[in-house]
Amino acid sequence: MSENYKFDTLSLHAGHIPDKETGSRAVPIYQTTSYVFNSTEEAASLYNMEVGGHLYTRISNPTVAALEQRLAALEGGASALACSSGMAAMHLVISAICSSGDHIVASSKMYGANINLLQHTMPRFGINTDFVNPNDPEAIKRAIKPNTKLVFGEVIGNPGLDIMDVPEIAKICNSKNIPLVLDATFNTPYLMQPFKHGANIIVHSLTKWLGGHGIAIGGAVVNGGNFDWGDKYKFPTISGPHFALGGISFWEEFGPSALIAKIRAEGMYNFGPSLSPTNAFHLMQGIETLPLRMKKHIENTHSILDFLVNHEMVEWVKHPDLETHPDHEVAKRILPKGSGSIVAFGIKGGREAGKAFIESVQLASHLANVGDAKTLLIHPGSTTHSHLSSEAMKEGGLTDDMIRLSVGLEDINDIKKDFERGFKAVKKLNK
Amino acid sequence: MIINFKGAKTYIGTGGKSLDINKMTLCFLHGSGQNHLSFIQQARFFAYKGYSVIVPDMPAHGFSDGNPCKSIKENAKWINDLLVDLKLKDVVVIGHSQGCLVALELNRILKSSLEALIFVAGSNEIPVNQFLLDLSKENPQKASQMMVTWGHGIDGDMSINKWPGHSHYGEGNNIMCMNKPTALRYDLQSCNDYSDGIDAANIIKVPALAVLAKNDQMTPLKSGLKFVELIKNCETHILDCGHFLPSERPMELNSIINSFLSKLK
Ligand SMILES: Cc1ncc(COP(=O)(O)O)c(C=O)c1O
Repeated sequence: MSENYKFDTLSLHAGHIPDKETGSRAVPIYQTTSYVFNSTEEAASLYNMEVGGHLYTRISNPTVAALEQRLAALEGGASALACSSGMAAMHLVISAICSSGDHIVASSKMYGANINLLQHTMPRFGINTDFVNPNDPEAIKRAIKPNTKLVFGEVIGNPGLDIMDVPEIAKICNSKNIPLVLDATFNTPYLMQPFKHGANIIVHSLTKWLGGHGIAIGGAVVNGGNFDWGDKYKFPTISGPHFALGGISFWEEFGPSALIAKIRAEGMYNFGPSLSPTNAFHLMQGIETLPLRMKKHIENTHSILDFLVNHEMVEWVKHPDLETHPDHEVAKRILPKGSGSIVAFGIKGGREAGKAFIESVQLASHLANVGDAKTLLIHPGSTTHSHLSSEAMKEGGLTDDMIRLSVGLEDINDIKKDFERGFKAVKKLNK
Repeated sequence: MIINFKGAKTYIGTGGKSLDINKMTLCFLHGSGQNHLSFIQQARFFAYKGYSVIVPDMPAHGFSDGNPCKSIKENAKWINDLLVDLKLKDVVVIGHSQGCLVALELNRILKSSLEALIFVAGSNEIPVNQFLLDLSKENPQKASQMMVTWGHGIDGDMSINKWPGHSHYGEGNNIMCMNKPTALRYDLQSCNDYSDGIDAANIIKVPALAVLAKNDQMTPLKSGLKFVELIKNCETHILDCGHFLPSERPMELNSIINSFLSKLK
């Protein structure tokens, strides 16, 4: 009762108290598609969104809801909705806010699929995006047009690690009455809570640090509840009459939770990217230790940064916590606990050296994910971007010697030893 | 719906259905610093059950413009005039918190015919401590946050919600933020100043229902129980939750109100 529990406590408890019938301490996995109605009246109430409750697992599920409520609590949002992946979350937000003819301003330095969705897929449905440098609030301001319906970016960009100056950009969005939507996957609410800096909507890939163990794909939309959707001309499908539910105005009926109500009634209902209850359980299990893991991720990252910066085989190291990073000052201001556990570095010897390094380490796993408890590596030059020339990679902000490292929770000396093994192989190659 | 009332834009929630003045009308009155959104799960529920529903945003609250009312009696007069203006005939008034004090005063003056009174987390008096009164003037946002935290039972702390994915705290804070910054101070001052509750409760003649909350820190259960003793034949229920009963226990509350209403017909 009005305890105002702190972050670590909420990570463990929010969204669930043991039910009186079974006393189950863990969140039960409600592995069911549907829910028996007590009466036809109750069924109608749920269909009409008169009251909250569960109808069909594509729309909501008690296990998934516990995860959603935990995320809402951790972010300080009004409501949240979990879905099948981070990309599903991103698509749900865009399709809830934008219609054909609308415009988006987005960061040019983002995860490839985020860029692809906006650059290639959405234009086929009449939603066009202008990409701008996320470190340039003025450029963002200039790119906003009368039909701009949202501004989108990643707090910490993947893979370039550019930091968005969230408070500055939020001010611009606020003055133009445009929601600021942020992908907060790389920071998680432990490192930074975007709503406190004026952002309006958060999307997460739960697959990464929130889940934290590389075992389940999932995503979430968290709604700050701090955006005024009242402009019927600008946001007609949120504040004006919507075809669903007899011409409902989500804004009038649900206020701060209008967006989530709309995504449930339209996005989840019509597109259906629901999260399985079992995956929700796994992801929540991960969130229970989020504060502990993030602390160790950051500790290990800082230690490995020291190691890499001083290593003779390393050409360059990029991380926002290094003074050499162009966004270091912004990072210090908005991410005081640390700027995440992704590190990019270049190996002396270019593309071949990168390949040799990756193939010689044995503890760090060579794969396409980030944010696992285990240390992960990828060399874009010989994998995801192997089809591109060095010049083409440069245009995308990448170099062919670059290794992307997701620092895990192992004993840091074991990781360093593992890397020495990789560097030895590169040395041999360079001879 | 939005109307122009007393020269100001005034929003009245109708639960997603259009208003039919020939039906029995349920008029929901929100509490201090709240607006129509404190009855999200009542407005649609009862509108879809065939009642006419109105949930006005009081002046300077929610989507309504205008100057905030400065006393409980002024609030009651405003609502009375609105009901007359809308030509509503059979009205059941349902107040939450401050809305209960307004309902008590409305009972004295209502010109249209009052069918029944329902008090949710109510009392005949709502004294407000000086700290909160001061804070509501200096920093209404902070005062709102404190009210949202005090106002909810354990479900608030634990982010437990019958409405999948929703947070009582996050939602509650933002609902209060939608009001004009001066709204809260006049609401709290009005509650604190109101002292006619005993007389007002004694003269109630219509059927009355009270739904109180076991862990209410805003209008404590003890005070609520004294209040219902002042009313002749007040049907009383106690739910296991905090002050924000309408969102903490929506189904239980709706079902109690529903069976009370069915007895009126
Ligand atoms: C920043 C960022 N956002 C979104 C995604 C997409 O997440 P998911 O794989 O869960 O769809 C990723 C995946 O790598 C990512 O790195």
